[in-house]
Amino acid sequence: MRHLKFLLAIWQANLQSVMEYRVSFLTQVVGMMLNNFIYFAIWLIFFDRFKDVRGWGASDMYVTFGVLASAFGLVSLFFGNAFVLGDIVNNGRLDYYLSLPRPVLLHAVASRMITSGMGDFTYGFISYALSGQFTWDGLLRFILAILLAAVVFAAFLILVNSLAFWAGVVSSFTNLMINAMVTFGIYPITLFDNYAKLILFTVIPAALMGAVPAEYIRAASWQTLGELLLGAAILLGLAVTVFRSGLKRYESGSAIQIEV
Amino acid sequence: MNTLRKYWAIFQITLINSLAYPGELVGRSLMIVPFMWIFYQLWKVTFAAAGTDTINGMTLHGTMWYLMMAETIELSRPQLARTISENVKDGSIAYILNKPYNFLLYQFSNSMGETVFRAVMNAVFGGLMVWWLAGAPPAPLGWGFAILALFGTWIMNFCIACLIGLSAFLVEEVSPFMWIYQKLVFILGGFLIPLDFYPNWLQAIAKSLPFAYMIYGPSKLFVAPSVELLVNVLSMQAVWILVLGAILTLSYRRGVAYLTVNGG
Repeated sequence: MRHLKFLLAIWQANLQSVMEYRVSFLTQVVGMMLNNFIYFAIWLIFFDRFKDVRGWGASDMYVTFGVLASAFGLVSLFFGNAFVLGDIVNNGRLDYYLSLPRPVLLHAVASRMITSGMGDFTYGFISYALSGQFTWDGLLRFILAILLAAVVFAAFLILVNSLAFWAGVVSSFTNLMINAMVTFGIYPITLFDNYAKLILFTVIPAALMGAVPAEYIRAASWQTLGELLLGAAILLGLAVTVFRSGLKRYESGSAIQIEV
Repeated sequence: MNTLRKYWAIFQITLINSLAYPGELVGRSLMIVPFMWIFYQLWKVTFAAAGTDTINGMTLHGTMWYLMMAETIELSRPQLARTISENVKDGSIAYILNKPYNFLLYQFSNSMGETVFRAVMNAVFGGLMVWWLAGAPPAPLGWGFAILALFGTWIMNFCIACLIGLSAFLVEEVSPFMWIYQKLVFILGGFLIPLDFYPNWLQAIAKSLPFAYMIYGPSKLFVAPSVELLVNVLSMQAVWILVLGAILTLSYRRGVAYLTVNGG
């Protein structure tokens, strides 16, 4: 509860900070939604020409794209520093968070809000509404699926970026992994054979951010929900453990800096 | 001649700079590998579902090498719009403007220095992956024609990216323009799906805009080289370079007129 109050205070401060430049805020939100619309049109062209990919059609793409975009947006909005945690470690900027009596990881990742995330988050709901699979109970499952997919994505970002404690500069590798996660998450899961699926549930858990949440939204199933919950819990536990273990190796940059 | 030497030197400096961090260069170029793998999965299943070896004149082998060239072009684009908009917003443009070179030609030489090695590295990694997945690369003629068309692509991209960057003179945030430009290249350039697979009406629209000559043109020349297509692509690129170049020059002049530099 104490952490939740702390998080709410950080998010409020972040929101006030980004809202200071309202035109920029609105431009980024609307721009990102438009960006997603245009990108998704490519899939509409594809499915108009080829109809389906092993039983996976345009309607399924709407739902998968929707849940993935909203989860991505949610992490961008509330845990924006998770994308650049490796740079923070490398530049010695963890000093600031270590010197305060708050959970270091939570404080660090929640301290930045990426404005365009609001566009992604909103677009996801529009995509689900347009899927032709919209139902009111489906909407509740959509919201739950977004939350769990966001936990998966945030945990994945923390895990990948925590390699910076051991490997130093990891920005190229992080970008590669983020791109792989998002790309594999959007593509129809029916494309992949069993070996590829194993990778998509473990090394690059894109299935837990796209296909599995989408499956749960389409049809309520305790088994799918269980898979999602278990996947999210394992990944989050692993991410926190790896970060804490890496933190023991952290060396201060001894740089005097102010976080704004 | 001296003028050319000046910009050639700028190009060389950026080129050498980009080689200073080989790990970063290789890491960034590896991004093409998972993309080519997933494209192969998608198109393999699509061709199998269609029950044919050829769709609108393209085979699976041709489609994969087309996509390799398209990815190479896209992934080699430098973040020019972001750099210029930062220059405008933080005022550092003032330091470039008072140097004895033309701002636009400086940016062009600089961006080409970044682009060339990235393109080579992406083509190497992407090419190896596609060779392994789909078979040997196209004939040398395709490589030659595609490289010729690549110069036009880079100049067109430079003009558009510069225009987006310079729009920072007028608007606070240029990122949305960059995202939308990228997605227009994706959809109207034939980046993820070759234009041959589009419905006719959309092909006609795409081919009346510049994006098709930035991605589809060089990529199609790569897998299906013909003198007729080469002439078509190069002439359309020349037309668009003239149009975009004229708009860029005018916008730059107006933008600089707006510029107010306070102190230093």
